[in-house]
Amino acid sequence: MTDHRWTPSENDLTEALRVHYAAPSDPGYWSALEARILAHVARGGHAEGWWSALSELARPALAAAAILVLVAGAAVVRTRQLDARNAYESVISAAPPSVETAARTSSVADGDATIDYMLSH
Amino acid sequence: MLAPIDGATTERAIVIAAQAGSDEAFSALVRLHQRRAYSVVRAIVLSHEDAEDAVQEGFLHAHRALDRFRPDQPFGAWLYRIMANAALDLVRRRKVRDADELPDNIAIPFRDPAESGELRERLQKALLHLTDRQRAVIVLHDVEGFTHGEIGRTLGIPEGTARSDLHHARATLRRLLQNIRSTP
Repeated sequence: MTDHRWTPSENDLTEALRVHYAAPSDPGYWSALEARILAHVARGGHAEGWWSALSELARPALAAAAILVLVAGAAVVRTRQLDARNAYESVISAAPPSVETAARTSSVADGDATIDYMLSH
Repeated sequence: MLAPIDGATTERAIVIAAQAGSDEAFSALVRLHQRRAYSVVRAIVLSHEDAEDAVQEGFLHAHRALDRFRPDQPFGAWLYRIMANAALDLVRRRKVRDADELPDNIAIPFRDPAESGELRERLQKALLHLTDRQRAVIVLHDVEGFTHGEIGRTLGIPEGTARSDLHHARATLRRLLQNIRSTP
């Protein structure tokens, strides 16, 4: 099989465009389209059926959902920030005794115990 | 009741009746113009389904604007301008969309099925390389037989722009449709 190449002429191109853009030829199609056009005009352009009402609500509903998600996200972030700050403040306000104090307290306690022991014996 | 459309009932009379609120007259206008209206919008949108939507929207806009139409003007030109605008609006809303499939049941008068098949496929892709306006201009001119002036009025562009768009559209299609494979 030989692979030939050709370039369409102006006429070929025009003919191909005519085929590509050919309008339906069935008279029944045009009757049906006419009925749909008139129904569309009578409705004032609104799609029919309850689902169309839902579809019209879809965009505002999506916007509302997006706002809710943003608000919820902001609330979560705020809560986490508050928790972190509370935890930080609790750490700052209830600082553990210093090592020196702790050691001193420990040695005083040990000394008391020694004195108590010596006194009792 | 509206008389049947014949030589005695002019389009002007139908338009005036429609402007007076006659649904029957408006139906007659739809019947008279829907095929051409379809062709105008089909030249602009990328699919048959979008063309149907645009025709419906176009007639809706025309119905709403009917009282502003002056009956001494050609109704078709006014209507097709509205159709073109409806189609352009639709194209803007559906910018990203694949071209529709070509109908398989229409005979294509080319040399053989192999080459016509490739031409069909490549034409479909090549049309996407044109701007919306170039595509509309070449289709309205080559397929629908509009003059440059009619195209200009329909699309709301100067006649010279229509000529220029046609030239560039043809050049682009010729460039993209070179060396099509054919298997004799």
